Amino acid sequence: MSDQIILRVATKIIVPTILLYALYVQFHGDYGPGGGFQAGVIFSAAFILYALVFGLRRTHRVLPTWVVRGCASAGVLLYGGVGLASMVMGGAFLDYGVLAHDPKHGQHYGILLVELGVMITVFGVMVTIFYFFAARGREDL
Amino acid sequence: MGVLVDFALLAFLATTAIAVVRTTNLFAAVMLAGIYSLLTAGLFTVMDAVDVAFTEAAVGAGISTVLMLATLAFVGSRVKTPQLRITDISAKVPVRRPVFPLVVVLVTGAILIWGTGDMPAYGDPANPIHHHVAPRYLEESEHEIGVPNVVTSVLASYRGFDTFGETTVVFTAAVGVMILLSAMRRKDRFGEERWGEESVPDLFRGFAPTFWLGQDGRMRAPPSQPGEEDEGGTP
Amino acid sequence: MSTVADVLSWGFLLTGSFFVISGGIGVIRMPDLFTRLHCSGVTDTGGAGLVLVGLMFQGGLSLVTLKLLFILGFLWFSSPVSTYALARAALAGGEEPFWAEDLDLPPSARIPGFSPRPVPGEGEE
Repeated sequence: MSDQIILRVATKIIVPTILLYALYVQFHGDYGPGGGFQAGVIFSAAFILYALVFGLRRTHRVLPTWVVRGCASAGVLLYGGVGLASMVMGGAFLDYGVLAHDPKHGQHYGILLVELGVMITVFGVMVTIFYFFAARGREDL
Repeated sequence: MGVLVDFALLAFLATTAIAVVRTTNLFAAVMLAGIYSLLTAGLFTVMDAVDVAFTEAAVGAGISTVLMLATLAFVGSRVKTPQLRITDISAKVPVRRPVFPLVVVLVTGAILIWGTGDMPAYGDPANPIHHHVAPRYLEESEHEIGVPNVVTSVLASYRGFDTFGETTVVFTAAVGVMILLSAMRRKDRFGEERWGEESVPDLFRGFAPTFWLGQDGRMRAPPSQPGEEDEGGTP
Repeated sequence: MSTVADVLSWGFLLTGSFFVISGGIGVIRMPDLFTRLHCSGVTDTGGAGLVLVGLMFQGGLSLVTLKLLFILGFLWFSSPVSTYALARAALAGGEEPFWAEDLDLPPSARIPGFSPRPVPGEGEE
């Protein structure tokens, strides 16, 4: 569909908006509805839109498979890493209070990093599943 | 007035569910499933659960519809088996009429609806569920965690283990899809197409110790003694 | 909230609801995919737009107004594009439009100044 100038231009304008909105949802999850899961899904929706309009091959060039699979596991590692870091700092597993000088600040840091991990994993998983589903029946991808 | 909105949403939900089951065009069924997710998101918003509604709208009406459409592009959008009505007495095609499953579903549904008579009133403050840990989360979240959104504080801090498990489950879903869908079409190291064989490297590279991989990319048994050296070969 | 803003917001909300309902009726009653797309486009842009403007008046001048303005801009940008994409996909998929000469209209119902386009083939939907 990339010979359609309307769709191309519209996608080029909409995709950054979607990405920005996903980051907004992620980082404002503390103050309103949102959080990691929603942000990851919206972030992956931008790439899926790009794939629908510009084709799967160009999307593979922009976002290779190894990056996406790495993201899927990196988020879980980040989450577990936060837990281990709090153990290293002297608390229990996933006890955010010991991550900073003050339990409240520690909770803030912990929640921020944990939600970031969730978003990265959900993004990686959604795009991976889309890549697999969209490549079925195609011999070249 | 709120009851009217609830009633309308639930009526639409039931109609859409029946339409999804009865339609024979899979494309229409996918679109109706997206509408179903949107209506469920509306119901969640009416119940004041906006985080859940957000997730449901994004995942159900967005990603799920796209994935099902991608599958339809591969499979085709016509239902292949004939849909018989329950009253087809003389069917020329030997297809089983689904009487017994319908009876089972109706009886189970009736028992469940009768069972809801014993449940406490919806949203009653004296419900047992509002007296266990929920008051502590709601009251202590402000000065223990300090995050205004209590859903985030419960999800990420009070129930952090559960969210860790959820994230791992999502990751496992991706791994499951990778294993299921990549077993159909494999390209080995020489670029040949092999069907139905799973070769380990592409899936587990980075997870398995690579000195257990043989020359042709299949795993071989690790040496039984640490000193035993084995050249790569087929297992 | 002042009476003027209240009345304005209710006016916009009711007009937007009218557009949404008429768009919904049109989607069911129209004969062809492309005419139905026009009706759903009315719902998406006119109906939702007026409802959002009405909600802007309800919220007063605050951050909510700005957020609703962004939603309105995004909606007015993406909805015609998606209607166009749907129509183009339908044409590429072989969906034939419903020509005017497929209707057996009496001569009194013909639109003055409009002559039906001659079709090379069948021309039916």
